[in-house]
Amino acid sequence: MSANNEVLLQVKDLEMHFPIYRGVFQRKVGAVRAVDGVTFDVRRGETLGLVGESGCGKSTTGRTILQLYKPTNGGVSFEGNDLLKLKGEEMRLMRRKMQMIFQDPYASLNPRMTVGQLVGEPLMVHNVATGAEINERVAHLLKVVNLNPAFSTRYPHEFSGGQRQRIGVARALALQPSFIICDEPISALDVSIQAQVVNLLEELQEQFNLTYLFIAHDLSMVKHISDRVAVMYLGVFVEVAERDELYAKPLHPYTQALLSAVPIPDPVADAKRARTILKGDVPSPANPPSGCRFRTRCPIAEARCADSRPEFREVSPGHFVACHLVN
Amino acid sequence: MMTYIIRRLMLVPFLLFGVSILIFGMLQFLDPIERASLYIRGDFKSEGQIQAAVKKYCLDCPIYEQYTNWLIGTIDSVSGEREGGILFGNFGWSKTTSQPVADLISHRFPNTLDLTIWAVGPIILIGIWLGVQSAVHHNGIFDQAARIFSIVGTSFPTFVFGLLVLMIFYANLQWFPPGRLSDTYSQVVRSESFHHYTTLLTFDALLNGRIDVFLDALRHMFLPILTLSYLSWATFLRVTRGSMLETLRQEYVTTARAKGLSERDVINKHARPNAMLPVVTLAGFTVVGLMGGVIITETVFDYPGIGAAAAQASAQLDVITVLGFAMFNGFILIVANLIVDILYGVVDPRVRLS
Repeated sequence: MSANNEVLLQVKDLEMHFPIYRGVFQRKVGAVRAVDGVTFDVRRGETLGLVGESGCGKSTTGRTILQLYKPTNGGVSFEGNDLLKLKGEEMRLMRRKMQMIFQDPYASLNPRMTVGQLVGEPLMVHNVATGAEINERVAHLLKVVNLNPAFSTRYPHEFSGGQRQRIGVARALALQPSFIICDEPISALDVSIQAQVVNLLEELQEQFNLTYLFIAHDLSMVKHISDRVAVMYLGVFVEVAERDELYAKPLHPYTQALLSAVPIPDPVADAKRARTILKGDVPSPANPPSGCRFRTRCPIAEARCADSRPEFREVSPGHFVACHLVN
Repeated sequence: MMTYIIRRLMLVPFLLFGVSILIFGMLQFLDPIERASLYIRGDFKSEGQIQAAVKKYCLDCPIYEQYTNWLIGTIDSVSGEREGGILFGNFGWSKTTSQPVADLISHRFPNTLDLTIWAVGPIILIGIWLGVQSAVHHNGIFDQAARIFSIVGTSFPTFVFGLLVLMIFYANLQWFPPGRLSDTYSQVVRSESFHHYTTLLTFDALLNGRIDVFLDALRHMFLPILTLSYLSWATFLRVTRGSMLETLRQEYVTTARAKGLSERDVINKHARPNAMLPVVTLAGFTVVGLMGGVIITETVFDYPGIGAAAAQASAQLDVITVLGFAMFNGFILIVANLIVDILYGVVDPRVRLS
């Protein structure tokens, strides 16, 4: 899992605002700022973990990168290609190299198609294989994700959640992409199955030299799989750092609060440590607080936090944080 | 799939039994003298003849005996012929048209079926197309225009829209006349050399190689088809559009896009087939409705189908004929529902396997 320094994906000031229409004439009265200016790189071969509460824009970030939503603003560059400039057919061909594993293994597989059709379809539409070759490739892919190749004539509803998610993984692998966005691939699975899928993802990464953007809200799982971790709050990144650095020395008060909520498997130590319990709810992304997004729930907020938005700056090599109070 | 079909088939006798009980129950509202016309052919001759029929066919016997007689009929002791018995196609005597009800049905039903066959395509295919396009261009100009166009259609009473198109296309333009065939072609059809292979006029015309007869028949069916279509499109549009919008929000549609499918493939191969389930139900009901005879449409356009015949019979209180139609309709309904259920299995693999 050693990451080299080649930047595979570069996201710059990405914004995804969903308009809100109201009234008789359906005028635009505002926007849900799901993603409100995020900038980060993903290096080839690494796993970047992306964590945050539900509704903070993690999934939207992933989908916007893949151009499944049309971004409001900003830039996404993949292997040096500006994805926003690609026209329909060019973008369609680019999808060979970037795939997605979806959160809900029940909703993300077309119930009318057999496993063979589901996994084989990308090969067909991209003319990678034809005829009997497709079946061979499908059988091979199913073997790669530890499924019986004979399952290819069955329908998704005949499988368990974990098996379905592995079908989703096989589908994402079919085109031999270099980059896969895993959008909470284990959140919908039983705990007993989660490890199985995560281990599979790790093995595949090694085998095919994959790069992952791993979206999750389970901090311990992200710690396990990631090389670097990004923390998101209400549409913006608040902290990015190497995994060990982030978990050992979290700088942003939100990251600290998140980490203090992770239980330690030692009851004595767990009882002794200081907990930061956040008060209140996440503000509405349609009407975010001025200045720092987190100030309404921040235990150390000051007056200046309401005035200006903190810059997302590098405080030590590779460690970025967006907080006025961090030196 | 086979067990699914067999299980559905096994239900059919029970359903038919239910329908027969209902119809038979309604017959009990008639007094025995009226029920005698189930058996007596021709107009009533004398009081004595009726009394004889009541006695002979046991029309004042206990209900269960009457039911079996009605269902399977009785064997005449003298001639050895079966008399009555709807299981054997004896629906009784239609006094208003002076022929057995079964004959009336067999004359009229092919016309209705012919109309159904030619109307189903425009109604369903264009209706679905409108719905899919509306969903794809959700809240766009096409969507708004199609919804207004179709809602106007549904808001028309059949007889108003029917009269309107008759005035335009028949009275003014003389393009599409009402009725079944022009006089010249009626004679062709009645002539010895015209073979009735299927009893469906348009198909017989083609099989006889008479394109002119075929086109004339279509010309007469055009206005009923137009009326039926325009009045049904809104329903198809709404059901398809709603189901399609729901399907387009599904995650597997996003998956299909992420796979790199073109938008056309996403809609035609992933979204639309999954959106068809409620549409299949609606299409089933529509076809059943058409086959049962569309009373107002057939009456307005003077089309000799089963609906117009039923309307005439009920206007003249010809209860036996009306109940005969009802029994026939029940049969069609059951068969059509069976076909719809089997189509469900084709459309949705989950139905097939559970």
